[in-house]
Amino acid sequence: METRIVTLCYRKIIDARSQKEWEKLVFEDTWKEFKMQSQLFNQESRYTTFSQLLLHVPASEKLHFLVSAAAVNYIKQLGNKIPDVVNNIGKTFLSFSKFYFEIINSDLQHKSVHSIAINFYSDPLRWHETIGDYLLLSADADGIEGQTSLYKIQPFVNIHSLQKEQNDGAIKR
Amino acid sequence: MERKLFLKQGFAALGMTFIAPLANSCKKNDIAADETTGGSDTGSGSDTCTVAPTETEGPFPTKNPSAYERKDITDGRSGYKLTVNITVGQVSKSCAALAGAIVDIWHCDAEGNYSEYGGTQMQSTNYSSVHFLRGRQTTDSNGLVTFTTIFPGWYQGRATHIHVHIYNASGTSLKVTQIAFPEGSGSALLAVNGYSKGMSGYTYNASDNIFSDDKDGVEMSTVTGDKTNGFSLAIQLNVP
Repeated sequence: METRIVTLCYRKIIDARSQKEWEKLVFEDTWKEFKMQSQLFNQESRYTTFSQLLLHVPASEKLHFLVSAAAVNYIKQLGNKIPDVVNNIGKTFLSFSKFYFEIINSDLQHKSVHSIAINFYSDPLRWHETIGDYLLLSADADGIEGQTSLYKIQPFVNIHSLQKEQNDGAIKR
Repeated sequence: MERKLFLKQGFAALGMTFIAPLANSCKKNDIAADETTGGSDTGSGSDTCTVAPTETEGPFPTKNPSAYERKDITDGRSGYKLTVNITVGQVSKSCAALAGAIVDIWHCDAEGNYSEYGGTQMQSTNYSSVHFLRGRQTTDSNGLVTFTTIFPGWYQGRATHIHVHIYNASGTSLKVTQIAFPEGSGSALLAVNGYSKGMSGYTYNASDNIFSDDKDGVEMSTVTGDKTNGFSLAIQLNVP
């Protein structure tokens, strides 16, 4: 199989059921920030949910960006390592330098409705071959030579982009 | 999907969420007590068996303020230095200073652009510039907040302005308003001259759809200073 360069995307959902400390901090602070920022688009206090705002106030689409500030300092704490996604020996192995924060839904009065997602985009990986259900991956270019990871694609992980590489190393688009 | 439900929940109803079962651990079939000899098939769990994360967790996360909470909101945007001093007073208390109020400001850069999601919607982890020229401070006992920023540029249809949102300590909105800049000869606005844009096509306060009806000048600031040493803006904003 010719080597392909891929990036993976892990869409981490954080909602009322999230258990881990980091997730809970992000959940609390983003809900607070949503309640504060949404007032800009809801000055007559007509709406109570994010979905209502999106429907009636087109500009409220900016809230994904505006609320992301509450999550940024927590994302910084990850040290550029994508959480939760582990290789076959249970270790996180993906690094990221790009992410996208989105609000899935929220409610000014019911915290249980608040739900956000952080999309983590991995740095480029070489997909060497597929062994059974497992992808054999290594960090592209800057990775330690020879070190690979066996990875089975999990729910909420997508192959975000793909480039084929010819045998002579040139990228085929 | 039922029309009623869709209308009530809107687009969010399409994005049902559920937790990813990433933490399912492999389960070995229990070896029966009487199968200790011989080559017994120990089995290795179900077809969906995946390895659980097994790493030292941590460092334990610490509570972190919003990325907005900072005095210097420049984030590397170039422009003439501007110090923004906002004093918040309470009308119900004869405009006495309101301490503990949260004040957000935001404005465009020298070219007239706001920080916002780009076309691809991805943010790089260059965290320091993602929310440029947006910031948050809490008023002190004198009702004062101070920000270090740059003199704003301008964009089509609007006079130069700074957006302000004042909340009480619990985050309830008290006021959403905008700060206007003096325009007379010798003013900072004319000294800055719109940066590289110049002032051709500029909308002055009298024609601005937000400021044109501000007869009492409640949105008007005072600005002192010069391009070499930087400018200083001051305004009193009152909330109910």
